[in-house]
Amino acid sequence: MSRRCTVLVALVVVCAGAELVAGRGMSPAAVGDVLAGGGTSTERHILFHLRLPRMLVALGAGACLGVAGLVLQSALRNPLAGPEVTGVTPGAVLGAVTATGLGLAGWESPLAVVVAACLGGCAGAALLWLLAGRGGDDPARTAVHGVLVSAVLGGLTAMVLLVAPGELGSVVQWLVGTTEGRVWQHWHLLWPWALAWTAAAWLLAGPLTLLRCGDDMAGAAGLSTGRARRLALLCAVALTSGAVAAVGALGFVGLLVPHLALAVFGADLRRSLPGAALAGALVVCGADAAAQLLSRPVASALGAGSLTLPVGALTTCAGAVLLLAVVRRAPDRTF
Amino acid sequence: MTESLGITVEGVHFGYPERPVLRGVDLAVRPGELTALVGLNGCGKSTLLRLAAGLLRPGRGRVLLGGDDLARLSRRDTARRVALLHQSAPAVPGMTVRQLVRQGRYAARGPLGMLREGDDPVVRRALRDVGVESWAERPVDALSGGERQRVRLATALAQDTRILLLDEPTTYLDLHHQLDVLRTVVRLREERGLTVVMVLHDLAHAARFAERLVALRDGRVVADGPPRDVVTPGLLADVLRVAGRVGRDPEGGWPVCYPDHPLPGVEYENHIH
Repeated sequence: MSRRCTVLVALVVVCAGAELVAGRGMSPAAVGDVLAGGGTSTERHILFHLRLPRMLVALGAGACLGVAGLVLQSALRNPLAGPEVTGVTPGAVLGAVTATGLGLAGWESPLAVVVAACLGGCAGAALLWLLAGRGGDDPARTAVHGVLVSAVLGGLTAMVLLVAPGELGSVVQWLVGTTEGRVWQHWHLLWPWALAWTAAAWLLAGPLTLLRCGDDMAGAAGLSTGRARRLALLCAVALTSGAVAAVGALGFVGLLVPHLALAVFGADLRRSLPGAALAGALVVCGADAAAQLLSRPVASALGAGSLTLPVGALTTCAGAVLLLAVVRRAPDRTF
Repeated sequence: MTESLGITVEGVHFGYPERPVLRGVDLAVRPGELTALVGLNGCGKSTLLRLAAGLLRPGRGRVLLGGDDLARLSRRDTARRVALLHQSAPAVPGMTVRQLVRQGRYAARGPLGMLREGDDPVVRRALRDVGVESWAERPVDALSGGERQRVRLATALAQDTRILLLDEPTTYLDLHHQLDVLRTVVRLREERGLTVVMVLHDLAHAARFAERLVALRDGRVVADGPPRDVVTPGLLADVLRVAGRVGRDPEGGWPVCYPDHPLPGVEYENHIH
């Protein structure tokens, strides 16, 4: 168990390192120079004020999404639940986009974006709750309702973008998810929020493990299932909204990282919740590094010099493949 | 495990106006008693167990555990007094036997206590009680039906309660494993003076193992007493809606049922050996 944890931490460090040396404008050798204390002031600025916060934001957002996904899947007893398919992520995107479109938030006021994303995330989750109602026990039905809610919220987001295209450029990236241009200000907003809600989620590890055993058993064992589930959903919404406000709607991370964490760390959430945080950080940071490394050949192939792949595009493509693998691997598993 | 607790059910009604499930049930289960609940599907047996475990609230009437009204106890306080083994449970992918049995400690330890490492002696005892210590690290999903049922029984035992409620603990099991589970329950009840109420579909098991048999029909208690007094052809006809004869085990003296006997269309005189 501790060996798996060490391996995962080592992988996270490797990905973080790759993230620091990836990207244009600065060669890996120059990064080494700067870390050794040398380098020009431009290089120092790039590394310490652009790449470092970007890496930290990627790690933090990934951790948030991983934990949020595992909390959601456990609380709803649904392996197909994830922030993306329960209306939380699309709601948060809608919130962020609407607030920016109305001029209430923007680059200058990231805190307002977090608040707006949170409200939107709660609204999305509430919408699903209303639709699914008490019959939210069936994973497939919840997934279908989630797709409906996500489609409606996505449509509303598109509508806002059409009506108020003022800050369109800065807003579009929430739709795909990108770590482009994240600076210390974003990190300073993200980490206290992420730390507080991850800690809250971990304190719920006992009740969440029980909820995974089904409401009948959890109730008989002494858990107030309704209250525990509401607290867990609050944690999941808060974590997702924080991540969306920081990097946008990164596809499939919250849906697939929990499967990875459970496979590696087992069904006891005391271990697999921190595991999901590590795995989420690894996936997003790794995907961001890969996206930056891929951007160069893709850009030169297309002849578009300044093209950069958003990390969200990569996680969505990779996630779709992984999701197929998860579903294929166990076609008749009773979840 | 100091003294045992009894269960008192007073005038309990439960259900919906158009579909009442229980219509005025009175039942006093004495401390340390082994009671079997029998009746047709949908007669309210499982509902009665859930009410006694505090998982449902009666529409009218009340349920007391050793003098405490369940309506005044919190979920956790209730679970420290009474454990309920449900009829079926969903699969929990990836969970080991020890992890599942640990879940029974929630009421005793609380949400933050569950974060502590290590098992307490009660978990080890519960694993030993049902004889599964040797495969405590195996995943529950990989077990056979009989093994899984023993593990679930251990989870209920890990609550360390004086009252144990079992909802059809032998469903889906072959005869060998049915007897295995029932003997374990009987042994633990004798060792620790547990109060046990179990829903059983097999009248033979109820007559063999229970001290007291309570029959429900349409949400009411229609028979209540020791199996040798209660199990009669009349009970078979009224409660289980089968024609049949009742004999006695030649050695133990407990009632033995011969359901669907006489065969339909053949005239016999119903008699008791």
